[in-house]
Amino acid sequence: MSTTIAEREVALVDLVDRLLGGGVVVAGDITLAVADVDLVYVQLRALISSVATAQDKGLLPRMGDAL
Amino acid sequence: MSDKLLHAPLDLDPFASAIPRVDDALSRRINADPESLERGLAQLVLTVVELLRQLMERQALRRIDAGGLTDEQEERLGRTFMELDQRMAELREEFGLTEEDLNLDLGPLGRLL
Amino acid sequence: MIELYAITDNPGPPLPELAPELRLVPFDGLAAVCTPASKAEVSPQTLWHHEEVVEALMADRDLLPVRYGTRLDDEAEVARAMEGRSEELAAALDRVRGAVELSVRVMAAAATPSPPDPVATTSGAEYLRLRAQAEASREDAAGALHEPLAALARESAQGRPRPPELFRAAYLVERGAVDSFVAEVGRLQGESPGLAVLCTGPWPPYSFADR
Repeated sequence: MSTTIAEREVALVDLVDRLLGGGVVVAGDITLAVADVDLVYVQLRALISSVATAQDKGLLPRMGDAL
Repeated sequence: MSDKLLHAPLDLDPFASAIPRVDDALSRRINADPESLERGLAQLVLTVVELLRQLMERQALRRIDAGGLTDEQEERLGRTFMELDQRMAELREEFGLTEEDLNLDLGPLGRLL
Repeated sequence: MIELYAITDNPGPPLPELAPELRLVPFDGLAAVCTPASKAEVSPQTLWHHEEVVEALMADRDLLPVRYGTRLDDEAEVARAMEGRSEELAAALDRVRGAVELSVRVMAAAATPSPPDPVATTSGAEYLRLRAQAEASREDAAGALHEPLAALARESAQGRPRPPELFRAAYLVERGAVDSFVAEVGRLQGESPGLAVLCTGPWPPYSFADR
């Protein structure tokens, strides 16, 4: 059982490298045609979402419309 | 999802060591002492957001220098970063954090920002 | 918002049922495959789900996978983004036609002792030199796997290994040649007890889609 989890996580490394670092690049909203920045962009959205979620859960003081 | 491992060594440990880094990239779990949760959490999250904002801005500038973006794309990029910068300033103010507060000291690795 | 998955020939086989919201935005004998953008945050689950969709498409057609997270306002914007790119994308699609991507990563085997400690009397500089040498010879051993594997692939792309990785590369392999490629990986692993060789796939040709 633990072998399967490790295997899936190891495969995840290869998956993340490909999905976020490879593939055809199309000029989207803020997606930039540089590998590292696409990775950063996805992370940034995830992090901004997480700050909003933390706010919803009452972990952070109430914020303005900033985020 | 079928198994993607076509050939694996008997001991996956060397490859398993890479996993925490992927976790960092995707994970949104933040462990913090409950008492200082608010400020510590905000500081950590905002530090990383600021780092990413700076990285993205740098990359964008490089891209603009290299050419190949339309005027409209450049304008949207510029506006996006202006908004991000403004939001960061507002968030810092909200939590009473200065720009220096977000510059984490990583010891021998130097400062983060 | 629309999320892109892949570029395919058009017309092509019917879209897979596992993702009922899949739509085609056609352009010049090709099509961009997309769905309404999901609101889910990025997580291993969303990545694997996205991959499932692309692989379901790949099961019965050739495609160029699009980078994850590529979102546009609507189908009209998708069509605009594809304008002027059909020649380039058609050529890229031809390049990967009938092939899949396999990943190979090499590390030092877990049981390998770290580089032998130099004798106590050596200087610090000498110690570092010996460490560097040992490291270099391990990297050479790992890199030696590339040639026989590249010979079995249509194309290959070496990546920058991320320490403690010694070697990493992507190989574009004919669909029917995957088994013999994997067998060769096994053979090379057998010849290199000091290395741990990992081969994953088949993946859509992410590393060969956009040069």
